[in-house]
Amino acid sequence: MKRMLKTVVAASIALTASVASLTAKADEVNVLMFGMPYTNGLQALAADFEAETGIKANIDVVGQDVFENRITLTFTGGTGDIDVVHTPVIQVQRWIQAGWLQPMTDAVAEMPGAADILAGPLGAYNVNGDQWALPFFAGVGLMSYREDVLEAAGVGVPETWAEMLEIAPKISNDEHAAIALRAVPGQGFNMFIFPMVMRAYGGSFFADYEGGDLTPAINSPENVEALKVYVELINEYGPEGAGNFNFAEVNAAAQNGQIVFAVEGTGIISQIVDPDKSRFAENTGIALPPGGPAGRSPAIGVHGMGIPASAANPDLAAKFIEWAVSAETVSKIALAQSFPDFTTASVAENPDVVAKYAAIHPDFLSTRVAALDLAIGHYRPLIPEWPALGQAIGESVNAAINGLMSPEDALEQAEQDMRDILGL
Amino acid sequence: MIDNSDAYRQKRRFGMAVMILLLVFAALPTVWVLILSLRQPFAIFEPIWESPLALTLENFFKITRSDFPRALLNSFATAGLSTAFAMLVGVPAGFALAKARLAGKFMASWVLLLLRMAPPVGFVIPLFLAYVNAGLIDTYTGLVFAYMTLTLPLVVWSMWNSFAQVPDELIEAAIMDDASLAQAFFLVALPAARPGAVAAAILAFLVAWNDFFYALIITRSDTATAPVAVMNFISYDSVDWASIAVASIALTLPILPLMAIANRYIVQSLSGAVKG
Repeated sequence: MKRMLKTVVAASIALTASVASLTAKADEVNVLMFGMPYTNGLQALAADFEAETGIKANIDVVGQDVFENRITLTFTGGTGDIDVVHTPVIQVQRWIQAGWLQPMTDAVAEMPGAADILAGPLGAYNVNGDQWALPFFAGVGLMSYREDVLEAAGVGVPETWAEMLEIAPKISNDEHAAIALRAVPGQGFNMFIFPMVMRAYGGSFFADYEGGDLTPAINSPENVEALKVYVELINEYGPEGAGNFNFAEVNAAAQNGQIVFAVEGTGIISQIVDPDKSRFAENTGIALPPGGPAGRSPAIGVHGMGIPASAANPDLAAKFIEWAVSAETVSKIALAQSFPDFTTASVAENPDVVAKYAAIHPDFLSTRVAALDLAIGHYRPLIPEWPALGQAIGESVNAAINGLMSPEDALEQAEQDMRDILGL
Repeated sequence: MIDNSDAYRQKRRFGMAVMILLLVFAALPTVWVLILSLRQPFAIFEPIWESPLALTLENFFKITRSDFPRALLNSFATAGLSTAFAMLVGVPAGFALAKARLAGKFMASWVLLLLRMAPPVGFVIPLFLAYVNAGLIDTYTGLVFAYMTLTLPLVVWSMWNSFAQVPDELIEAAIMDDASLAQAFFLVALPAARPGAVAAAILAFLVAWNDFFYALIITRSDTATAPVAVMNFISYDSVDWASIAVASIALTLPILPLMAIANRYIVQSLSGAVKG
């Protein structure tokens, strides 16, 4: 018993001595990101940053749920334990309104590398005349398709969602379904994909977003028509259980040959056409997502890095961000990871990067650029209320897919939810 | 008398069938996770009968190259230390509360119960702020202290009950034979309450081992525990189901023998280890 007591006391002394403060170390920068190819690659290069600058970067890459919980505490508590935070563009307005981010305008003005960032994604972080983050990722919506199946059925690649509906019955059989689309509710889940159909049919979230009229218009006839198409594609021509699919299930279904078409973000499409990951990669083609009477509107999702208002070391944070989006760092990550979504323009001129992605699929980078050109910055509205709005609309869309409501009733419900959230 | 009637046999068969059905139902998630952990990545979503041979051990090797093994060690260290400290403080506390004539015992019992009843989310923000200011974020010390808010009330409450079952006469006899209070505690009361102590230690370890919430807010990359590390296999554009399955198995395996031991001692402690 005495020996046990001694061991426990010794352990407690050793533990107490091991207490290490994280707060405000002058030569360290604390970075919190959520897992994606870029952030994983960045974490692996932390030693490079220290070697170049003498500043130690503690780069924490966590799951998205873990990330949400941690930043909520840091932001609301103003604790200063994070210097650089992963900043999805979809959240930036809300974070600015809540006073959780600090502007980087002056710091960015002194960064020569900032001129190398694509103007669209960079501008997405310019709010009220200030720059709030620098982008590192711009994922766009693309479509993958099984060339062999289309050839056997004697049909071409659909240019519109209406054509997709015509082709779908001709290619659905016991071996494979025609298409899978995200159905799980969420502003980053079904509301990343559904607006592509919505906008193709001329629908929008508000009466006149660009003109400043934010009266909800989600129950418009165009949106109802789009939702009917979405529901029909998933329920009539999707694989079993498609009403609960998210990106992971769509990805797996395409890689396993269970579907012919996938309309997804570049991160998923790059995995579907990668021969190391997909059994049908060699027979898979890439195209722009289908359009409609109002044209084509590929989805776009931008991620960047910002500095929390409470950051203990904002100067070091700005230095870190400058290094993290530099052509050299991004090129290294694009080569080491599956990361074709870079926003640093000159990386696309790096012959090694071009060769790598051409080897995965010859059309990948060119189709991505074409989709980026077509994508509109406010594909999902850039307003502080969007996360709540997106969740509410996504739930109604999911309810229509799963037969809990008709498309008309679902969008009426979404309209009411939007009014409630906006206080109208 | 043995009942050999047809009606009895039928009832017995029906009972067995229900038990087997319930057992299969309860075991299904575990079996599913085991199958997932052995599936090749492309076959994760395929029914097992479509590609029964698409099996691999690579998922197990892959996870050893991630941060998960370190997180597993962190779980062991923090759950073990918080249990040890809780026992160190909680067992004598339980003895004192059970045997000493103390004022405010009733109040103490309520405070302990309240500590057990209060949901951690209720005091997470003040705890987090205090930890940030004290430099305890991402430290083993911080996590062990936080876990003690879970383990200590459990140990004290359960040891209070265990020591209450030890007859006062045993301790009085030891003291009359010139034993000091410490000797009476270590040599008489504690051995008599051993089943309760083992059960309390195992339950405390399991509570800390399974914790997600405290680890989520207090740890960062250095001290992240296994339940939090599992969540890191879900990223922006992929869900690594195979790694999640392997990690779930790794999280479950170490506690299986503990559960077996706990089962025995909990029954003993509940049925009264010491007959007066």
